[in-house]
Amino acid sequence: MKKIQLILLFAFFVNLVTADEVNVYTSRHYDSDDALYEEFTQETGIKVNIISGKGSALLQRLKAEGKNSPADIFFTVDAGNLWKVQKEGLFQSIQSEKVLTEIPENLRGPNNEWTAIAKRARVIFYNPENISDELLENFNYEDLADQKWNKRIVIRSSNNMYNQSLVASLIENIGEEATEIWAKKLVSNFARKPQGNDRSQIIAVANGEADLAIANSYYIGIMLSGSAGQEQLEAAKKVKMIFPNQDNRGAHINISGAGILKNAPNKDNANSFIEFLISNRVQKYMIDKSYEYSVLNDVAPSSEIAGFGTDFKEDQTSVRSFGELNPDAVKLMDRSGWK
Amino acid sequence: MNTISSWRLLPFAVLIIFTAPLVIVLSSLLGNYSDNWSHLYEFVLLDYVNSSLILVIGVAFLVFIIGTVTAWTVTNYNFIGKDIFEWALILPLSIPPYILAYTFTGLFDPYGDANNLIRYLFDLSSDFVFFPNVRSMYGAIIVFAFTLYPYVYLVSRSALINQSKSMKEASRLLGLNQVQVFYKLALPMIRPAVIAGVMLVIMETLSDFGAVDHFAIETFTTGIFRTWYGLYDLQTAMQLASLLLIIVGVFYLIEKNTRGGSIYTSNNSNFSPNLEDNLQGFKALIAFLICFIPIFIGFIIPIVELSFWAYEVNLGFFNDRFISNAMNTLSLSLGTGIICAGLALLINFSVRFKPNKLVEKLSSLLSLGYAVPGLILAVGMVQLMVYLDTFLFSSLDIVLTGSIFGLMIAYVIKTYALANSSIESGYQRISNSMDESSRLLGISGWRMLINVHSPLMKTALLTSVLLVMSDVVKELPATLILRPFNFETLAVSTYTYASEERMLQAAAPAIAIVIIGLIPIIFLSKMIRSSRPN
Amino acid sequence: MDNLILEIKELNHAYGESDLTIKDLNLNISIGEKVSILGPSGCGKSTLLRLIAGLEKPNSGEIIKKAEVMTNHKIFIPPEKRNVGLVVQEKALFPHLSVYENICFGIHRNKDKNKIVSDLLELLKIDSLKNKYPHEISGGEQQRVALARSLAPNPDLLLLDEPFSALDEELRKTLYKEVSEVCSEKNSSILLVTHDPYEAEVMTDKQLRMENGKLI
Repeated sequence: MKKIQLILLFAFFVNLVTADEVNVYTSRHYDSDDALYEEFTQETGIKVNIISGKGSALLQRLKAEGKNSPADIFFTVDAGNLWKVQKEGLFQSIQSEKVLTEIPENLRGPNNEWTAIAKRARVIFYNPENISDELLENFNYEDLADQKWNKRIVIRSSNNMYNQSLVASLIENIGEEATEIWAKKLVSNFARKPQGNDRSQIIAVANGEADLAIANSYYIGIMLSGSAGQEQLEAAKKVKMIFPNQDNRGAHINISGAGILKNAPNKDNANSFIEFLISNRVQKYMIDKSYEYSVLNDVAPSSEIAGFGTDFKEDQTSVRSFGELNPDAVKLMDRSGWK
Repeated sequence: MNTISSWRLLPFAVLIIFTAPLVIVLSSLLGNYSDNWSHLYEFVLLDYVNSSLILVIGVAFLVFIIGTVTAWTVTNYNFIGKDIFEWALILPLSIPPYILAYTFTGLFDPYGDANNLIRYLFDLSSDFVFFPNVRSMYGAIIVFAFTLYPYVYLVSRSALINQSKSMKEASRLLGLNQVQVFYKLALPMIRPAVIAGVMLVIMETLSDFGAVDHFAIETFTTGIFRTWYGLYDLQTAMQLASLLLIIVGVFYLIEKNTRGGSIYTSNNSNFSPNLEDNLQGFKALIAFLICFIPIFIGFIIPIVELSFWAYEVNLGFFNDRFISNAMNTLSLSLGTGIICAGLALLINFSVRFKPNKLVEKLSSLLSLGYAVPGLILAVGMVQLMVYLDTFLFSSLDIVLTGSIFGLMIAYVIKTYALANSSIESGYQRISNSMDESSRLLGISGWRMLINVHSPLMKTALLTSVLLVMSDVVKELPATLILRPFNFETLAVSTYTYASEERMLQAAAPAIAIVIIGLIPIIFLSKMIRSSRPN
Repeated sequence: MDNLILEIKELNHAYGESDLTIKDLNLNISIGEKVSILGPSGCGKSTLLRLIAGLEKPNSGEIIKKAEVMTNHKIFIPPEKRNVGLVVQEKALFPHLSVYENICFGIHRNKDKNKIVSDLLELLKIDSLKNKYPHEISGGEQQRVALARSLAPNPDLLLLDEPFSALDEELRKTLYKEVSEVCSEKNSSILLVTHDPYEAEVMTDKQLRMENGKLI
C-alpha cells in the first residue's frame, strides 16, 4: 500500500518537473551566466534548472542515470569532457540551423554533437621592464624549452586541465617523443615548483620573480577589470601578453562548449537555449563579463583584452584530440617530472 | 526472543544501505586493472604514498601536542583568559582546512598581504620575502594541524576533567613534578580518548582534497583525482581510493584493538573538581600563549583575512540567494546531524544490548566513510541511488538520484565517524549496572533505549549532532555531484569561486560558512563551560 | 514440590575459559522462605545471584522458578521476564530520574502505581525524598530507594547481594528489619548473599555456607 502511495506521490512530482524547463549540467559557473539564464527564462518562459560541478563528476552522474537522466544539456569549460561525453555516446546531433551556419566547423564536434560557446587562448605573459619585446618575437611554445629561460618560467601544476590540453595539442602537432623532450627541458626551466593558479603566475612575472608565465588569456581581463582587487590590477598593468606560434599553426585555444544529451526530455527547449547562448547580444554580454573570446567572428572581445590583439591566429587542432590525447599528456608530464 | 530480533533488523537494514556505497567503491578492487597501474607504479605512486605519510605523521604529531597540552593547561591551571580559552580553543573547528589554506597563501605568498605589510613597515625592496613558502609540506601540516586539533582537545579535555583530584595529589606527594604528572600519569590515562581523536584527524587529513590541491602537494587524494580527471580512468581512481580505505581500515583496527583491552566504565558520575593552580607572571604568560597561539593561527588569522577580502570586494553578498543557500546549508547539516546521531545511538545500542559480530563489523566499516574523499563516495552513492531507483521505481523516472535523500545519506556516511565517536564514549560512561537494573525491572529493548540510555546520553547526543553539523557545513565535493537541481549550499558557492581562484568573491560565502559552522560550535562551547563541576 | 519458588539443579558456571565459579550446585527455596548464603568474597555467591536473575548464562544445569524453567540447556528467559528483584551494594539508581520516577520505573504501566509507590515510600520511610534526585540524597537513602524500586513490581523473589555493607551499622540494623518485614508482608522470598553472619542471622530463616562454588 505504502509503495503505491509513494509511487503516486512521485508521479505527481515527475509531472511537476516536466513543465516548461531545461535542465543543465554545467561545470561552468560564472555569476554573469546566472543572469543570462534568468533572462532566457524571461524571454521564453522556459525555466533553467542548474546542477554545477566538476565535469568528470557530472559525466559520472550522467552515465549512472542512464536513459532516465533528467539532463538536457551538458555544458563544460573543458573540451576533454565534451569528448568523453561524446565517446560514451550520450550526445545527439545538434539540428539547429543557427549553430550549423554560424559556428565555425573547428569549433563544433564530430556530427555536430556539441558546439563551442566561448573560447580562450593559452598564452605567454612577460614584464617588458625585464624582457625586451624583441626577445619574444615570433615566439613559439616550443621555445619555452630553450636553455636561455633556465629557472625563468612559471606555470601551474600539471593537474590543471589547461596544461593537459596544451601538452595534448603539442603531442598532436609535434609528436609524443618531441613533446616529452620539450616537457623535460621546460621542467628544468621552472623558476619554482608549480603552484597556484594562472593569476599567481602572472603576478610572479609582474613582480620579477620569473620572466615568462603561461596562463589563460581571460585572467588578464579579470585582473585589469579591478574586480579582483587593487593589487591584481596593478600587477596586471605591468605585464604584456603574446600569442605564440603566430607564424605557424597558431595559439592554443580551448573552449567552453555544450551539447544536447541523447535522452534529453526537453529537446526543443535545449535547442532554444543553445541558440540563445550563441546569439550576438548574449555572446557580447557573456564575453564582456568573462573576458573570453566569442565564437562568432563579428563579436569583438572586451576592451580590457582587445588591446592585446583581436585577430590572432588559432591552432586548428581539433578539440577532439585534446580529449583523446589527454591521458597520454598526463602520463608524459608524470614522466618528465612536471609536478 | 522474537522482539529482540525484530528491533535489531532495522539498524541492520539501514547499515546495509549505508555501507553499500563503500562496498561499491571497494568492489572496484575486483574489477580489471588497467595499464595505468604500471604507469602509476613506475612514476608517481611512491610519491603519493610518501607525501601522504609525511603529511599524516606531521599532522598527527602536531595535533597530539597541541590538543593535549592545551587541554591540560585549561583543566589544571588558572590564568588570565582561561575561562575564555576553555571554549575558544574549539573555534578553529569552524574553519575548513581549505579555507585556512586559501588565507595562508593570500597572506604568506611572496606578494601576499603579510609579506607586503612587512615590506611596507620596514621599507624593504620589493623582492624581499620575509615568510617562508607556505605552499609546501610544512605549510600543509600547519594548516591541517591548526584546524583539526580541536578534535583532540575536545576528547582530552573531557577525559582530563574526569580524572580525580586525589590521584593527582597522590602522585604529587610521591614526588612527581607537574610535567611528570602530565606525561606519566594523565596522558597514559586518557590515551584511548586521545588516540580516537587523532584517528579522526588522520582520516580527515587523508580524505582532504581542497587544501592539498591548493598547496600542490601530491598526496593520495590528489593522485586519485588526477587519475580520474586527467587519465580519465575512474576505475583506477576507485581502486586507489579503495587502497586508501584499506590503509585507513588497518589504522582503525589497530586503534580498536589498543582500546579493546581497556574499558573505562565507571558509574561514578559525581567527580571531585580538579586541582587548579593559580599561575602568575611568566608562567601565566606561557599558559596564555600556549592557548592563544592555536586560536590565533587557526581562527583569528583566517577570519581577519577573509573579512579584509570581503570588505575589499563588497558586502552585497548578503541577499536572497545567500539566505536560501544558508538555509539549505543549515537544514542539510541539521538533518544529517540528527540522522547520524540517531543511527549511531541505535547501532551502539544494538552492539551493547545484544553483541553481534556482524553488526559490530559493519558499524566499524561505516566509520571508514570519514576517510573516503567526498567525491569518490558520491560516485558510489550515485550508483547506489540508481540501483535503488531501478529496484523500487522501475517503471518511473529516477526519483532518489539527485534527491536530498541521497545527498544526506552520503553525508551521513561521511560524518558517521564523528557521531559514533561521541556516542561510543557516551555509552562507555553508562555503567552496565544501569542496563541490568532496567532489565530486572522488566524494561528492555526499545524501552530501555528510550527511557534509560537516551536521557543519560543527552550531552553525547547533542555533541554528536553538533560535531556532524560543523563538518557538513564545511564539506563540499559530495554536494556538487549529488544535489538536486538548483540546490546550492554555501560551500558550493565558496568552492565555485575558489576553484576559479577568485578568492575575494569566495570570501563572503566562506565567512558565512564559518558563521554557520560557529552555531554548533557555540553550543558545544556552552556545554563545555557548563560541563565543569562547580 | 508445588510450594517451591526456586529450584536449582546441577548448576555449573565459568567466566570464559577460567575455572568454574559455580560447581554442581543444587538449591531449593520455598515460597515466602528467607535464605542466606554466607561465604568469603570470590566464592561465587554473587555469580549465583546473577545466574538466577538471568544476567549470566550457566555452562550447564537448570534454574526453575515457580515450576517454570528459566534456564536450562535450551531455554533462556531474559532477565526482564523473570520477575525477580536484585539489589546490589553499588546502588544503580538512574541518575536522570527522581526518587519517585526511579521507583515507578518498573511499574509505569500499572494503574495503581501511585498507590504502590507511596506505600513503599512510607514503608521505607523515604516519603520526604520523593522529588529529589539520586545525587541529592545520602548513601543509605539511595539504598532504600534501590530497594523500593526492586520491590515495586512485586517480585516473588528478591535477590540481595550485600546490599547494606556500605552503610553504617545503626542504619544497617534498621534496614534489616524493615526489608525483612516488607518481604514478609508481600510474601516474597529472599535470597541474601553476605559475608556477615549477623546480617544472615537477623534477616533470614535458613543460613547456608558457600565455598569455591559449592554449597557446604
